[in-house]
Amino acid sequence: MRALVIEDDPDLREQVSKFLSDDGFAVDVAGDGDNGVYMAEEYPADIAIVDLGLPGLPGLDLIRQVRKSGRKYPILILTARDGWQTKVEGLEAGADDYLVKPFHREELIARVRALVRRVGGWTQATLNSGPYIVDTSAKSVLVDGKPVDLTSYEFRVLEYLLTHAGKVISKSELTEHLYTEDEERDSNVIEVFIRRLRSKLDADSQYNPITTLRGSGYRWDLPRA
Amino acid sequence: MGPAARLKRRPRVTSLRARLLISTAVVLLAFVGLGGLALEKAFERSLLQAQQDKLEGLIYALLGAASTTEEGDLTIALDAVPDRRLREPMSGLQAALFNELGIMVWSSAQPLEMPPPPSLNVGQWNFQRLTGPDAFRLSFGLRWIDSERNEPRLYTVSVIDDTRSFDRQLATFRRTLWIWLGGTVIALVAILLLILRWSLAPLKQLGRELHRIESGVQMEIEGSYPDELKPLTRDLNAMIVSEHNQQTRYRNALGDLAHSLKTPLAVLRGLSDDRQIPPSQQSLLDEQVGRMQHIVDHQLRRAAAAGSRTLTEPIVLKPLIDKLTSTLTKVYASRGVGFYNRLDPELKLRADQGDLYELFGNLLDNAAKYGDEHIRISARQEANLLHVDVDDDGPGFPDAPEKLLERGARADTRKPGQGIGLAAVNDIVKAYGGHLDLARSPLGGARVSVTLPLR
Repeated sequence: MRALVIEDDPDLREQVSKFLSDDGFAVDVAGDGDNGVYMAEEYPADIAIVDLGLPGLPGLDLIRQVRKSGRKYPILILTARDGWQTKVEGLEAGADDYLVKPFHREELIARVRALVRRVGGWTQATLNSGPYIVDTSAKSVLVDGKPVDLTSYEFRVLEYLLTHAGKVISKSELTEHLYTEDEERDSNVIEVFIRRLRSKLDADSQYNPITTLRGSGYRWDLPRA
Repeated sequence: MGPAARLKRRPRVTSLRARLLISTAVVLLAFVGLGGLALEKAFERSLLQAQQDKLEGLIYALLGAASTTEEGDLTIALDAVPDRRLREPMSGLQAALFNELGIMVWSSAQPLEMPPPPSLNVGQWNFQRLTGPDAFRLSFGLRWIDSERNEPRLYTVSVIDDTRSFDRQLATFRRTLWIWLGGTVIALVAILLLILRWSLAPLKQLGRELHRIESGVQMEIEGSYPDELKPLTRDLNAMIVSEHNQQTRYRNALGDLAHSLKTPLAVLRGLSDDRQIPPSQQSLLDEQVGRMQHIVDHQLRRAAAAGSRTLTEPIVLKPLIDKLTSTLTKVYASRGVGFYNRLDPELKLRADQGDLYELFGNLLDNAAKYGDEHIRISARQEANLLHVDVDDDGPGFPDAPEKLLERGARADTRKPGQGIGLAAVNDIVKAYGGHLDLARSPLGGARVSVTLPLR
C-alpha cells in the first residue's frame, strides 16, 4: 500500500511517515500544498493524509482539485481545528475522514487501515477469504487456523491482492503501490514474491488463491467470507 | 442598594409613549382640576356678593316705604315696595322688623321659624346663610327718629331670601364649566396622542430597521433620522460592522492558535508512541500531552462558544443537520448508520452557526458511535422554547447519565475522544440559556433533548 503524506510541519511529517512505513506502507511526503497537489495528482496512491493548514495551496482546495482530476483514493484530513464546521467542509470537499491533532499512532493507523480496506469493500479489520484469515494490523496470516510466517514484502503483496480481491492487478500496479519513486524497482521481484506466497499459503496446491493472467497480471480468486 | 437591587426595582411603565402620555395627562388633569375649582370658587363669591347687593337694595327700598304707626311703632307699606315677591306668600322672599328688644314688630308674611337676628349697632350690616330654613338673611340696624315724637327708637330690619335661585345658578355654572373643561381635556389628549405618534415615529422606524437587520434582510440602518437620533444610528452601524469583523477576527485568531499549538502537541503525542522510549516515560509523556490537549480544547471551546447574540441572522436548522449527517454517513460508511432528519425545513434558530455545528455535530457523532443503525432528529416548539431530540437505537445511557455532562467523563472508555463531547454540548446549550436532558429513546437507545429559548 502506498500513502501520500502532505503536512507542512517537518517533525510531524516525519513522524507520520515513520508510523505509516513501520506499518508497511510505502510513503511519499510533501511539505506544502503546491508540491502536494502535484504528487496527489501524478503519483499512484492508496491513501492520502492531508493537513488542512498548508502553505501554498490550502488543504481544502487541494482536496477539491484532486477529486476534480478524478483521483478516487481515500483522503484522511489532519486538522488542528476540531470544529464540526471544518469537518463538514473537509468532507464536502471530498475527504473521507478526519483526525484531530494531537492523535495517537494507533488512532492514525486504524483510520488509515479502515479507509484503505473500505476501497476494496471490506468492513472488518481482518480480511477473511477461503481458509485464510489476514489481520492487517497484527500482520498475521492464518491458514486453516495455523499461523504462516511471511516477510514484510510478501505480506504487502498479499494485502494488496486480497484487498482488491476479484480484480486483476498488473505487475506494474503492484510495483507502484509497494515502492515509492525513490526506491529501486524490479518487476521480476514481484514474480518472486508471488511464487513464495503461493508456496507458503498453498503448499499442497489445494486452494489456488492467486491466479496468474498471462500478460495482464494477478487476481485473488477466492470468495470473501 | 446594589446594582442588582436597583435593577429589580425597574419602573413598571416601560413604554416611552405611555410615560409621556401618563405624565402629561397628570399635569393636564391637575391644571384643569385646580383651575376649575378656582373658577367655581370665584363664581360662587361673586354670586354671593350679587345676592347681598340685591338684598341690600331691597332693604333700602323697604326703609323708603317705612312709616310710624299711631302707636309709634315702625311699619312698612308693602304696596310701596317695588319687589312683588314680598307681597306673595311662599315666594321665598320675606322681610321683618325687630325692635330693640328683638321682638318682631312687622313682617311681610307669615314669619318663618328662624333664630332672631343678632343685635346690631346702628348702621351695621349682617349677612348670613341660614341652614334651617335654607336661606340668606341680610340684617341692618337703624335708628328711627319720628319727626313728631322726637324719640329715637332702634330697629333691626331683616330680609330673607331662600337659596333656590342661588343654588340653581351655581349648579348651572358648575355643569357648564365642567362640561367644557372635560371636553378640552379630551381634545388635548387626542392632540397629545397625535404629537406623540409623530415625535416617536423615528424610534418606531429604528425598531423596525433593527428587526430587519436581525432577520438578515438588511446590513445596516439606512433611514434618515432626526438630529437627536443621528449619533445613535451612526454608532449602531459602526457597532454592527465591528461586531461582525471582530467575530471573524476572533474566530480566525482562535483557529490560528489552535493550529499552532496542536501540531507540536501531535509531534509530542507521536513521541509517546515511540517504542525506543521506556514505557514508564511513555505513559508520563502521554499523560502530560493529554492534559495540555484538554486545557487547549477546553479554553478554545469556552472562548469560541459565542452564546446568543442579538445581531446574528437566524439559521435554518434542517440543511445544517443535513450537512452533518452526510459527513457522518461518510465517516461511518462501514457501519451503515441511517439518519432520519425530521426537522421542519422552515425551522430557524437565532444562534451562531459555529455553535450549532458544534452542538449537533457532537450529538450526532455520539449517536452514530453508540447507536446501532437508526438515528432520528426531531423538533417540537412549545411556547417560547424549541426542543430538539436526537434519538438512537443503541444501548442507551448508563445509570447516572448526568455525569456525562461533566467534562472528561465517558460512558464507554473503549471509544476514544468521547470525553468532552456531551460536556461541550452542555456548555454551548447553557451559553444560550437552554438545557440538556438525557433520557431513554422510544427507539430503544439514548435520547438527548436540547431545549433552547426562541427569541
